[in-house]
Formats: sequence, C-alpha cells, structure tokens
Amino acid sequence: MVKEKTFAFFLGCIAPNRYPQIEKATKFVMEKIGYKLLDMEQASCCPAPGVFKSFDKYDWMVAAARNLVIAERLDADLVTICNGCFGTLQDVNKHLKEDPNAKEYVNARLKELGDYEFKGTITVRHAAEVLAFEIGPEGIAPFITRKLNARAAIHYGCHFLKPTRIRGLDSAEKPTMLENFATILGIESLDFENKYTCCGAGGGIKAAHAVPSMKIFAEKMMDIDKVKPDFILDICPFCHLQFETGQDYLNKNDACKYDYPVLHLSQVVAWCMGMDQEFVGLQYQQMGRDYIFTEREVA
Amino acid sequence: MGETVPVKKQFKTDEEYDKELFKDIERRSNIWSCIQCGTCTASCESGRWTALKTRIIIRKVVLGDLSVLDDPDIWLCTTCYNCLERCPRDVRPTDVIIELRNMAAKRGNMHPAHKKTVGFLKETGHAVPINDQIRKQRKDLGLDELPPTLYKFKMEGDDKVLNNIKAKLFNVANIEKAAMLAKTESKSNEKKSEEK
Repeated sequence: MVKEKTFAFFLGCIAPNRYPQIEKATKFVMEKIGYKLLDMEQASCCPAPGVFKSFDKYDWMVAAARNLVIAERLDADLVTICNGCFGTLQDVNKHLKEDPNAKEYVNARLKELGDYEFKGTITVRHAAEVLAFEIGPEGIAPFITRKLNARAAIHYGCHFLKPTRIRGLDSAEKPTMLENFATILGIESLDFENKYTCCGAGGGIKAAHAVPSMKIFAEKMMDIDKVKPDFILDICPFCHLQFETGQDYLNKNDACKYDYPVLHLSQVVAWCMGMDQEFVGLQYQQMGRDYIFTEREVA
Repeated sequence: MGETVPVKKQFKTDEEYDKELFKDIERRSNIWSCIQCGTCTASCESGRWTALKTRIIIRKVVLGDLSVLDDPDIWLCTTCYNCLERCPRDVRPTDVIIELRNMAAKRGNMHPAHKKTVGFLKETGHAVPINDQIRKQRKDLGLDELPPTLYKFKMEGDDKVLNNIKAKLFNVANIEKAAMLAKTESKSNEKKSEEK
C-alpha cells in the first residue's frame, strides 16, 4: 500500500523551467489541504507524449517507467500538474501494469539506465483531478478564505480527459468537472464556441510547424475573445505556454490586440486559500500584466 | 493509330507497397475495421487548417502504401485524440499516426526542431531547459534555484543517469545514417522481438 495523503510531486519541464509560480502554488494548496508532497529526485522529462513518443515509443516507455520507479521508491502515488506528463505517465503505468510482456521488456531496458525496476505499485494523478474531483467543491469549501470575483474561460486541454478509455475521468465532449469546481472559488465559467478543442500546441507541432499551430490557436482565441473573460483558466503548463506566447504571436503577426492573463487552476486555488498575490505570480505574466485579483463580496 | 498516348495517370509500382511493414499497426490499432466514413477527418483539429486527412492516412496504411512514411502531413497531428474518441469502428487513428511517425523517424524523416528537442533531453534531462531569468524567478518565489531533477544532479557532478539516457535512449543523432537504411532493414523490426 502506498502512503496516505502523500504524493510524489512530478514537476515535468515547463512548470519548473518556465512557470515556477504554478509549482509554488501547487505546493501551497496541497499542504493546506493536508497532503504532503515529496520531491522526486533525479526525475527527467516525462517524456513528452507528442514529441518523444513520436520518435521512438519504446524508448519513450522506458524513460517514463524510470520516472514511475522514482515515485514507487517514495512509496507514494505520483501527482503531476501537466496534461502531457499526466498522459505519458498514466498511459505507461497502466500499460505496464496490464501487459507482463511490456513490463519484462521495460525492466530489461531499465537496467541499462541504472538500478531501476518497475513494480507497478502506484497510480498516476493530476492535481486538477485531485482538487476538482476527489476533494471536490464541497471538500474544498472549508479551506477557502476568500472568493474570487472573476469570469473565466476554462480550457481543459486534450490529454487530461482523452483517451477516455484510459483516463476514465469525465466526458471528453462536454466535461463539467472544472466548471463545477470553479463555481466554489467564485469564478463564473463562460461558455464559448470551440471550448473543448485543442490549443494547437501538442503533437510536436508547436516546435516544428508554428504556422498551423497558430492557426488552430487563432480560432480558439477568437472565440474566447468574443466572451471577454477576465482570464483564461487552464490546467496544463504546455497549454499555458501556448496561450501566453500565442497571444503575443497573434498580436505581432495578425494585428490582434489580445491581452488576457493566463492562470493555472493551482494558482487560483492558492489565492482563494490566502496566498499572497506576489507568490501567486501575477507579476510574471507575459499577458494581462495589469490584472489583479479582486475579492467577491459575500452577500 | 499506332501513336503512343502520353500516360496521364501515374500508377504506383509494386515496390511502393509493402503490406507486411504495417502488420503490427494493424494488430494494435484495429485498422482493418475502418469503413472510410470520415469521422476522423471531420473531427480533426489540425485538419481544419492543414492538408492532414486522417481518413486517407488510414487508407494508405491499409493498402500498405509506403509513401505515407514520407508524407509531411503525419507530423501535423496535435494528438488531441478526437478521432480516436469518435471513431465508430474503434480504430485508433492517433495511435496509427504515432506508429507511422516512429517508422518515419527511423528512416530519417525528422524535423530539425524535433532533433533539437531530443538534444535538450539528452543534455539536460528536460525537453524545455531552465534559463537565468527563471532561476532568479524561482529564488524570488522562495523555491530552490534548480528543481530536483536530473539537471540539478548534473550541475552537482552526478551525471551518471543522464549519461546513460544520452547513450541508450532516442538515438537519432546518427540520423543521416538511419536515412540510408534500406527498406528491408526497417522491416525486420528488431524492437518487436525485443518486446517479446
């Protein structure tokens, strides 16, 4: 059995190396609600499902298994804050648990990397799913010290829900998990066209094919712009990166004037639990720099 | 009469087809069930804006058309999984595209930006490495300057695991050599026997 109320905290790449404020906020939130987060020493990239899985899915599986072994040694379930990491690690974890041949293959390859052996003792979780589903709106209510007065465009991202056969979290066509949860934080969730579509970053196309990536993103952004949210709320640092750099790209290349702040769910929850604005990290936004949180007056 | 009519339609020769090559994909992703309904293409987020036609890719794989491996369109998929979710015949187009990319990469068809990403992983353990600005930002936030990942261990002189990853995984460095691999060689599919 794994330790209760303890998670091995898998950082990934973009969160610690581009948006450390998300890492900080997640640690704050998890500690407030009574979970202990353990450092995963010597962890690497998950590796990213769009790029590395596309190059060699066997090597991808081996590298992911190594990260899983680190969590197994800590005797704790693994929690991530990124849809990509969630996708890779959950896919590989489930596959290796179900397929003994694959497990044998991966364990043989793991020996090449060092003293590692995959046993299959843990599960892989996403912080957003822990907060919004396991703890849920009712469970989080006692920890909320202030509510946020804001209207948000919620973006799920693809790998959080799909493939539903592996994730088993919520409907991929019309999920409601985050909307229900955001309500308890005071956030009004806005409906807009193409709400559940891709941000256009995944599959390695952001790196290699910027033009189609930005075309997909431009359509999404146009629909978001129609409802004029206070900020965009996501649960994935890669979508986060796409929303921040993408707005900048469209402003420079397509004569758009977008200036929407982009926030990760952890950051918003941290503020509602009393974290200072300075640590929530609004000052590090590339977009929507003037935005500050305002408290909703409870009637 | 007796004149040679110029050939208008280019037919493909037998050498351009190889059904055996895609046998594993068929087994894993169920593509023989495909009825060419086009739900995948209609659901495709990237296909709205690009030439990516998922249905045609699946058809080419069923036929064993090798040109699909040189098709740049397979690299335009965002892996959003809409096609996989909506397919009425339970085909897994996203997984098929990933497997095709694996084969294409083996043949040396890989974008320079992707090679660079592999380089980052091998050097730092991250696909997106840290920079000075973020190091400062981490300190300001009260976090450790470097996250406790492989890169930090490398900086402290312990690069054993990272070196092993560099040597053993994602060996696309000799990609030029890989490009010259004969078709038969990639067919032998060493990985399959290793998996067994």
